[in-house]
Amino acid sequence: MRSFTCLLIFCIASLGAAEDRVISPAETAYHKGDYATAVEQWSNEARQNGVSSGLLSALGNAEWRLGRKGRAMICWERALLLDPRDPVALAGIRHALAAGGTERPAPTWAETYASFLTEDTWLILATACFWVATLCIVVPRLRRRSAGEWNHRTRVLALTLLVLCTPGLWGGRSLSARAVVRKVEVSLRLTPTLFGEPLNGVAEGDVVRTGRPLNGHVRVTTADGKTGWLRAGEIELIRGASLPADLDQKAAP
Amino acid sequence: MRRFLASTVLLLLGLLARAEDRVSWEITPRVTAPGQPFRLQIMVESDVILGGAQQVDKEIRPPRGMALRLSGQLVRPDSNEATLNFSGVAPDQEGEYVIPSFTLRFARKLIPVTPIKLIVSNSVAYQRTAQARAELVLPERTFYVGELIRGAIHLRGGDDETVVASFGLESIAEGFTFAVTSDRQPLSPKLGQGMRTSFELTPIREGTSELSLRGTMLIQNTDTPAFGNGNRDRPFTFRRKLIVEHVPERGRPADWTGAIGAFSAEAVQVSKDRPEVGEPIRLRAILTGTGNLDRLLPPEVPGNESWDVLPATERRRHAEEQRFFVYTLVPRLPGKLLTPALRFSTFDPLTKQFSRIEFKPIEVTVTGNAPAQVDLVTADPAAPIGAKPKVAAGLAAPTPQRGAPLFRGAPALSLASSAAFWSSNGLLLTGLFALTGAVLYLGYLAAHPEIRRRRRARSIVRTALLEAASARRRGDRHAFAKSAVRALQVGAAALLAAEEAAMTQGDLERVLPGVPRPLLDELFARSYGERFAEGATDAGSPSEDETLELLRRLQSLL
Repeated sequence: MRSFTCLLIFCIASLGAAEDRVISPAETAYHKGDYATAVEQWSNEARQNGVSSGLLSALGNAEWRLGRKGRAMICWERALLLDPRDPVALAGIRHALAAGGTERPAPTWAETYASFLTEDTWLILATACFWVATLCIVVPRLRRRSAGEWNHRTRVLALTLLVLCTPGLWGGRSLSARAVVRKVEVSLRLTPTLFGEPLNGVAEGDVVRTGRPLNGHVRVTTADGKTGWLRAGEIELIRGASLPADLDQKAAP
Repeated sequence: MRRFLASTVLLLLGLLARAEDRVSWEITPRVTAPGQPFRLQIMVESDVILGGAQQVDKEIRPPRGMALRLSGQLVRPDSNEATLNFSGVAPDQEGEYVIPSFTLRFARKLIPVTPIKLIVSNSVAYQRTAQARAELVLPERTFYVGELIRGAIHLRGGDDETVVASFGLESIAEGFTFAVTSDRQPLSPKLGQGMRTSFELTPIREGTSELSLRGTMLIQNTDTPAFGNGNRDRPFTFRRKLIVEHVPERGRPADWTGAIGAFSAEAVQVSKDRPEVGEPIRLRAILTGTGNLDRLLPPEVPGNESWDVLPATERRRHAEEQRFFVYTLVPRLPGKLLTPALRFSTFDPLTKQFSRIEFKPIEVTVTGNAPAQVDLVTADPAAPIGAKPKVAAGLAAPTPQRGAPLFRGAPALSLASSAAFWSSNGLLLTGLFALTGAVLYLGYLAAHPEIRRRRRARSIVRTALLEAASARRRGDRHAFAKSAVRALQVGAAALLAAEEAAMTQGDLERVLPGVPRPLLDELFARSYGERFAEGATDAGSPSEDETLELLRRLQSLL
């Protein structure tokens, strides 16, 4: 009990400390309108210390200000993977959809449900529930005793939570299987071939659902439900490296 | 002195005479009918101990058409005589056949064998169908480079003999690739008893080549008793000259890609008959027939305005003589479309004519919309005037320090794609299963204590048997009786679920009905007598064999 109280005090203290934090040079640069410097410094910070949802969403804002819609959307979407309720990322995506001309598929009910927690948290919760339910069933048998009332309650609770986790896992999986269009002038192709006939234009920053890959192309579905093929290099999966890929850089041989 | 010299000369002459090796041979029968089996026996007598002859099959070179195989040697390790038995089959043509002179290689000596002559005559009465025989099934015609020729060797049983096995098939086929496709398959009923070995030949160059096949079949007389071992081997050999040509260039169509044989277009299938525009479907064309199916190059199918065609992997079923050509088709237009036609030419080696195979197109209904004009402008200038404008929300002020420590990390790899996560869970689950299994097993043992008791008793009786045998070898009767009594008490206690020390002779009689009472008396007296009276151990002498037998009987009951 004492340790729990100490932990609580530590958390409150750390939250309080967060309020009077030091403003970093990148933030200063961002507020001055020097977005390129902000991007560079936040990127360096991400490479050195890893990313957080706040850092990614801030980076997304700076990228958006520089007019790089694809990179900005990637940053915001990845920020939402880490924290599905990150306010900066959510605001950025709303702004991009409303004023920026980008499109994003409307979330399904499972995706909306899944956005309550992160994909990993759903999985950890489901795993924990599975193990609790399994142990509740197995342990009394191993001890050759009948299960007590508490055991039954815990078992039912764990199984209920496990069932509740299922749509979260499904939704998290489909959220991760989306991609952002990274090229400026891209057209959705009819066939996955070099000379595939263009169907529709998709803009940089548009979010698409991905399907099966074939012949160096990926079958995608756009926000308005159109299905076609995009080259694998024209999109970047949301579940990817920490920072957006640099598409101008040639791949190592 | 003169007498001594004379006897020395005589001895030397005798030795010289003895040093000459004597080789004789015998063919049974002396004169054979064409294709008739025969036996050849070569007897060798030498002045040295011979042992076994080596590499006889390589040394002996039977004439063309004759099959000959060393079937055994009669050799004694301390003898200067050796007998070599060969089984053979006479050639199919009449005449005199001579096996050229060859050398028998023994460990200590090389002994030459003079030429051996076999007369083959049609005048000999011989019923060919009575004997087991080998037949080569191969078409008699001109073959073509790249063609797949299917042949077979029929090992047919006769009225007096059955074929029970075959082995050692060797082939020499210059200018051909040779592969056995099935071995020792039963013959069709109309051919009678026997076996069939199928093979495939493919000529790789033109000209005249020779195919040579040889092997051995194991045969059995039909009148051999069921449990008798009347098996013997019989060699067979075939030599066939084959003429190979290239497929004629005259009249060869441009779309001929190496297909030689008789083929037919079986069917065309699509994986989905109502695809959307842009949705790939799989087109599978099934070709059947006999010929070089696996050497065919898939016909090229160019894309057109209705279809984009992509290469796809293909499979072939060997057993059913089928070949699949698989293509991925992507429809470009909606509506009722016909799949692209597949055509190619084949060459029939029997008629020596080219023919064309065509897979007929099938109709596919493509749903969806026709491709619209490319519209790279995301803001739609033709949007209705009354459409509700989207509200610009604006960006929020960045808070890069935000983020709970638990959420810090990289979004690159989710837990769901982590092998360590799933493997550790799998490991835990396996451990739980193992633990459950162990607990169930231990519970079962606890519920059935007789299992453990009998297991322990088995171990003690086994050890006591060894100890008793050891004591018997040493002549220690007291130790022998003690081991035996201990084993009997433990074993009986396990069977009666009682204490070992409480086991009496009466209990032993219950466990081992019919056990001789005097034997038990003697064993117990010898084992425990010294506790009660000195010298009691000398009373009587129990039968040790009977005691050991008793222990083994008890062991079998546990």
